[in-house]
Amino acid sequence: MNLPRFLTRKVLPHPRWGVISIPYFWMLLFFAIPFLIVMKISFSSQAIAIPPYTPVLEYVDEGLMLKLNLGNYIELFTNSQYVEAYLSSLKIAAISTLLCLLIGYPMAYTIARMSPSMRNICLMLVVLPSWISFLIRIYAWIGILQTNGVLNKMLLAIGIIDSPLQIMNTPVAAYIGIVYAYLPFMILPLYTNLVKFDMRLLEAAYDLGAKPWKAFLTITLPMSKSGIIAGCMLVMIPAVGEFVIPELLGGPGTLMIGRQLWSEFFSAGNWPMASAVAIIMLVSLLIPIIIFHKFQQKELEGRIV
Amino acid sequence: MSAEMAAATSDHVPRTDKLGNENYVRIIDVRKEFDGFVAVDSVNLSIRKGEIFALLGGSGCGKSTLLRCLAGFEKPTSGKIELDGQIINDLQPYDRPINMMFQSYALFPHMTVEQNIAFGLKQDGMAKDAIARRVEEMLGIVQMNKFAKRKPHQLSGGQQQRVALARSLAKSPKLLLLDEPMGALDKKLRSQMQLELVNIIERLGVTCVMVTHDQEEAMNMAHRIALMDAGHIRQVGTPDEIYEQPTSRFAAEFVGSLNVIEGKVEEDEADFVTIRSDALPDSVYIGHGISGFEGQQVAFAVRPEKVTISKDEPVQKHNKAQGIVEDIAYFGSHSVYHVRLPSGFKIMAHFANRKRWASENFTWNDQVWVSWGDDAGVVLTT
Repeated sequence: MNLPRFLTRKVLPHPRWGVISIPYFWMLLFFAIPFLIVMKISFSSQAIAIPPYTPVLEYVDEGLMLKLNLGNYIELFTNSQYVEAYLSSLKIAAISTLLCLLIGYPMAYTIARMSPSMRNICLMLVVLPSWISFLIRIYAWIGILQTNGVLNKMLLAIGIIDSPLQIMNTPVAAYIGIVYAYLPFMILPLYTNLVKFDMRLLEAAYDLGAKPWKAFLTITLPMSKSGIIAGCMLVMIPAVGEFVIPELLGGPGTLMIGRQLWSEFFSAGNWPMASAVAIIMLVSLLIPIIIFHKFQQKELEGRIV
Repeated sequence: MSAEMAAATSDHVPRTDKLGNENYVRIIDVRKEFDGFVAVDSVNLSIRKGEIFALLGGSGCGKSTLLRCLAGFEKPTSGKIELDGQIINDLQPYDRPINMMFQSYALFPHMTVEQNIAFGLKQDGMAKDAIARRVEEMLGIVQMNKFAKRKPHQLSGGQQQRVALARSLAKSPKLLLLDEPMGALDKKLRSQMQLELVNIIERLGVTCVMVTHDQEEAMNMAHRIALMDAGHIRQVGTPDEIYEQPTSRFAAEFVGSLNVIEGKVEEDEADFVTIRSDALPDSVYIGHGISGFEGQQVAFAVRPEKVTISKDEPVQKHNKAQGIVEDIAYFGSHSVYHVRLPSGFKIMAHFANRKRWASENFTWNDQVWVSWGDDAGVVLTT
């Protein structure tokens, strides 16, 4: 009945590998393989075919031919249209992240200091909007921001402005949309960090002569660094590639790489170019992710008591 | 009217003590309420300069609240707190010349040992090189120079405590507060650190108020102890006064173990008292008078180490009883015998284990005598 010991130990993998391998399998299936496919497409050229690109690896005249087309990448770095779109994306994402941090930190701080029952209600309120479809919420902003929208009508009624503000179809609308949509991703990691904060450390700082503001800057803020970084990453990374918000709210003036990618893919039908755009976007985001990971590692090594 | 009241309240806590020493810290009629719950009630205390003063009591007795009032984290609902002639009620914690060593040390985890100690000095805007010198000096006092660059989590509990002490002493506070100073240490380290802490505090001459629930710790470290219960001060005195002359049953029972014999005053003369109790075959004879009356319900309290246990009948006339050894608790240095008297009352007696096989002296169910001297115990009327 029982298998020989050497067989169970040496040949058959331990049952725990069955569990451990699931995330790796997931990563392989849904990240590594699609990534390689996109990478392959990025090295081909556009063609009128199904699928609409030339093969990279071909069997011709009894020989295996590998043809890497670097044209897409060269185009990316030389055509100012792409370079500008990248820079503009990074700028919009960076400013939105900063705005999210400035709004999110005080919110997370306040929630973390509330009584446990109030905390849960407020966290619920932060998360609640995401129960509604993302697309519907962004459409709702059109209703608020457009020339004869809710906001303008209200401001006109109060008498703050004489003529409606043109917010819709400007970068400002895109900023509002991105900050609105990604704010929970800033608040939640900050909250998780701040709620663990030991209030006695602040008392110790006061006791040693630090005024509240100084104590915040020297104790609370540095100690919430990992929460700040996590929140910024969670906002910044998806915001760089954001397509829906600049498309619906930002108007044609809001240049972002996500829209560039969309138009290459669906308007121009240039799959290889679109793939190259996606690959470069991913690589440029990998750098901050690696920095973040390194920092987190250091944090874990340093903090375990 | 208010001036009169102020004068009246000041009278509770004189500016100097009986020996003419200045009372450095004066706590006058302090009361602290939390949502209708009275945590500290009409507390009057005076603490001398350079004294180590312990607030001793069980959890919820108000000792920590009183300490937090001194630190400035809580504001008394009423009453005054005076330090070195200045009323500090309205001073913010960061404006008080008082530093505290927190129960779990509250060291800043993202700063090194050095930076932790320098933190308070930096807040005063001290020059960089002066800070460095002071930090060096403090590290020397607590013998932690080698660990200056370490982070708190890289230190043991005892080392963290040294850093916490150095940090709270760095600013030369007028008053040092210790909140359960040994709470986070194991027993062996505790007694060692107690002595060391007292040495450092006495060497620097800093006035110190500590809070503890551990009577041994209070007795080891403090010059004077205030025993607290339910927000009130029950007794203030030196460790031996608290132990040997408790003024209430609470005080007697809180500190150390105790035999309590309930009874009535039988004879109350100027130089002796006898107490009649159902627990004992004969009346208890006490070699001094009390301010009581005949027939008064009292409790006679005698500590187990003052009760002698013997095989043969003691020669003394009073204060002895025969019984049976029911339980023996072995503590190494001594054993505690629980002797059951014919009345069913159980009395505890210490027996020092001077010989290695001393436990062979008495064993379970042995018929033994217990006895105590005329002045071994106290009569408690409250």
